[in-house]
Amino acid sequence: MTRSVLYTSSPLLASKTPLWRSKMIVAMLALGFVGLGARAAYVQVFGNDFFQRQGEVRFARTLELPANRGRILDRNGLILASSVPAASIWAIPEDVEKEDPEVAAKLRKLAKLLEMTPAALDARLADEDKTFVWIKRQLDWDIGEEIKALGIKGIYQRKEYKRQYPEGEPAAHVVGFTNVEDQGQEGMELAFNKELGGKAGSRRVIKDRMGRVVEGVGEEVPPLDGQDIQLSIDSKVQYFAYQKLREQVEKFKAKAGSVVVMDARTGELLALANYPSYVPDKRKNLTGEQLRNRAITDVFEPGSTMKPITVGIALETGKFKPDTPVDTTPGRITVTGSTISDTHNYGLLTVAGVIQKSSNVGTTKISQQLTAQQMWEGFSAVGFGQKPQISFPGAASGRLRPYKTWRPVEQATMSYGYGLSASLLQMTRSYTVFANDGRVIPATMLKRDEPPVGVPIFSERTANQVRQMLALAAGPGGTGQKAQTVGYSVGGKSGTARKQVGKNYASGKYRAWFTGLAPVDKPRVIVSVMVDEPSAGSFYGGTVAAPVFSEVVQQTLRLMGVQPDVAVVPQIVANPVEESL
Amino acid sequence: MLRLNLLLLLAVMGSAIFLVHSQYESRRLFTELDRSVNESRRLATENQRLEVEKRAQATPQRVEVMAREQLKMHSATPAITQYVQDNARSGTAP
Repeated sequence: MTRSVLYTSSPLLASKTPLWRSKMIVAMLALGFVGLGARAAYVQVFGNDFFQRQGEVRFARTLELPANRGRILDRNGLILASSVPAASIWAIPEDVEKEDPEVAAKLRKLAKLLEMTPAALDARLADEDKTFVWIKRQLDWDIGEEIKALGIKGIYQRKEYKRQYPEGEPAAHVVGFTNVEDQGQEGMELAFNKELGGKAGSRRVIKDRMGRVVEGVGEEVPPLDGQDIQLSIDSKVQYFAYQKLREQVEKFKAKAGSVVVMDARTGELLALANYPSYVPDKRKNLTGEQLRNRAITDVFEPGSTMKPITVGIALETGKFKPDTPVDTTPGRITVTGSTISDTHNYGLLTVAGVIQKSSNVGTTKISQQLTAQQMWEGFSAVGFGQKPQISFPGAASGRLRPYKTWRPVEQATMSYGYGLSASLLQMTRSYTVFANDGRVIPATMLKRDEPPVGVPIFSERTANQVRQMLALAAGPGGTGQKAQTVGYSVGGKSGTARKQVGKNYASGKYRAWFTGLAPVDKPRVIVSVMVDEPSAGSFYGGTVAAPVFSEVVQQTLRLMGVQPDVAVVPQIVANPVEESL
Repeated sequence: MLRLNLLLLLAVMGSAIFLVHSQYESRRLFTELDRSVNESRRLATENQRLEVEKRAQATPQRVEVMAREQLKMHSATPAITQYVQDNARSGTAP
């Protein structure tokens, strides 16, 4: 007999619970699994995008890759404008615990670093409702580091870029400046804003808990740095021209002045300076007077500097030769009721003498042999009344009325530079016709690799003849003797134009001009100088503007390495026998 | 058969661990690369900043003032300049 225990039928185990309970538990568990399955399906399949996005928001970041704004360089590659990192300080006013004495002491230090008064800083932090307040933007990077070291709660900083202009005042008008948003506002910064401005790139990354980038996701858009712009300006010439102009404007207590230096062969502007100027980094309290690039945007009546153009047109018709006599007696001439006069009675002059003595009567007589159309065509061809083809904002085109509306007296006054207007740049450019054997070449502010092809206006002979007249005018017995410079032959025409105020010419208000070229036989530079309202001493172009011309020409030709064409007594101490010059 | 299965199991486990390791390594390297790239960018801007500073120290204005006042120099004039022919351009032998 075997003793067997029937466990299944053990009375201890005999359950009194009904069968449905166990079935229900199984069903519940099954339901639980179905629920989990459904949830999994929802998360993985239907709501996938949403969850993926939410996840990414928590660990993926889009980083902006900042692009650098291009630099502005001079013709020798020296920096005229460049971007450097700058710290901009901002705050959450509510978070700054001003009552805490320790923080208050730090805030005083901060104010000192920011060059603000503590009261001004407090005023910035006063509004506690704001969550973002700029304290000061674009500080030097080093100062930013010091502020970071203070570690004040609620004060933060952001990296921005700031434009630096190492050349400062002398080149301010040419280079211009940008605003805090890095957009060009003036000068070349504005003209080439698009080319200079880069395009920021971006990339998406995954960051870990420590904020380290662990993986790049998707495609990276690389930043596109702005292009560098190389100007034709030579910073040495620019500085020198500005310096000399400033001295002269101050000496003669003038209102303003401008100087333009152009490479006669290529039309490149080597310098373009105006006084008064400004420091591009410190632009508070700027006035329009300081800001204006007069040489390009302002137009004036050029006065006598126009005469060589008229004479050039006259020579070109074949009716005149340099030695053709022109009688200017008695120093007055009446054209349809208006009297045109000279300062002296020059008597019988030649055409060359008319330029040398700057005779209004002589020029009028010459112009009477020309038709209005001939003069208009000549003036237009050298660029008067035309918008200069120069990439500079606000370049003025000046005024030259259509010839059909000219009255005889107007034709006469225009022949010596009244009744039409031009900018100093246009005046300078018009003289390229004499410098380049009768071809007028376009002006440019950008460095040219090849000399441009000029448009022939005058014959080579005419250009040469006018150059010789210009040399006479700047020589002994001429009006521009002070334009003479050591070692180089110069030719140029002075001008003293009365200023127009309203509809009439003001008495005692003049503009002194001088435009000329050097060396006379093979011109390398054209220099124009304009001084506005000289009020102390003299006001004549020959005395006020010509000396600036002389010094600028001297310095520019030396920098260009041009050999003197006029014999100078050598003073070389080490080698006194040289006589080749 | 059993041996082969065991071998494969070991191989799978080995490769799984290696995968984890290489993933870790790749992230570590990526972080380092990223840091280096940032550093290079920082140095590039620093370089640019210093270049501007250098340029600001050598403006014609500063050079002129120093040359005149400290070194007592004066501008060259044609009278004290000896000009030599550019042989390359004129084509004559020295």
